[in-house]
Amino acid sequence: MGEGWPVMGTTIVVGITFGVVARQAGLEPIEIAAMSLLIFAGASEFAMVRLFIEGAAAPVVIATVLFINLRHLLMAASLRPYFMRLAPARRLAAAFVLTDESFAMATSHFRRGGTSLAYYVTFAVALFVLWNLSTLAGIALGSTIGEPRRYGVDFAITATFLGIVVLAVRRPADVAVALVAAAFAGALALAGLSTIAVIVAGAFAPLLAVFARK
Amino acid sequence: MIWLAIVGSAVATYLTRSLPFALTARPALPAAAARYFEALPVAIIAALVGPAVLAPGGALTLGPEPLAAAIVVATVAWRRSLLAGVIAGVAAVALLRLV
Repeated sequence: MGEGWPVMGTTIVVGITFGVVARQAGLEPIEIAAMSLLIFAGASEFAMVRLFIEGAAAPVVIATVLFINLRHLLMAASLRPYFMRLAPARRLAAAFVLTDESFAMATSHFRRGGTSLAYYVTFAVALFVLWNLSTLAGIALGSTIGEPRRYGVDFAITATFLGIVVLAVRRPADVAVALVAAAFAGALALAGLSTIAVIVAGAFAPLLAVFARK
Repeated sequence: MIWLAIVGSAVATYLTRSLPFALTARPALPAAAARYFEALPVAIIAALVGPAVLAPGGALTLGPEPLAAAIVVATVAWRRSLLAGVIAGVAAVALLRLV
């Protein structure tokens, strides 16, 4: 479990940041708390705040979140052999706390020869609790900061996205995908299409990875 | 409207997490589709950044944001730490807005 501490620390910091920026964006505390409780997906929750600021309609928000999270299908498919030993109700409960982080930890556990799902469940549930507690802390903190622009707090959401992208890039094709997606979305926003910019540019750019050689 | 988006997003997210466990047969994805889905999160998150950096006020500007964005990218690439990048970016924007 020891290798999980950096991930837990990051979860706390990002969770607090989420609570702060969501509160500063004008969302109600109960809405912010519900997002972390029901959705439990950092990048998606930040994206939703951004789209709420733009005034995007609910179907656009839901479609964007669905696209961001389609990767879970791949992770779940990869963990499936281990999960199928659980009873259906437990299996579907364990799926609720599946995240990039818990997937990575579970995968490294299984690659080391481990077979117990307790490792995954303990870590995933710990992250769920930490994420929700730090969201609440962020809500409280965000309600006390008077003028967010003066401290650059409004930029925290953009900086978080940039950091996630940099850490997620593995191949040269990923760099091309990220640059094209950002530039295309920026151009669409400048053309007055800011609410659909993310979903259109985000759905188009991965085609580059499909046609890239390596 | 916000609640509809929250509940709808929660259902959509849970479906992506649980569908492979609910099916009885293991789904097989063509390699091209797997590559597309692997690149999708990076693309969507980068698409969120584009407008916020290039056109923070709705128009093309050379404000503090593009420079701060470069500082975030450099910091995260160097330190491999999300936290270090966010702190550097927020500090850079706050300072650049002062001058």
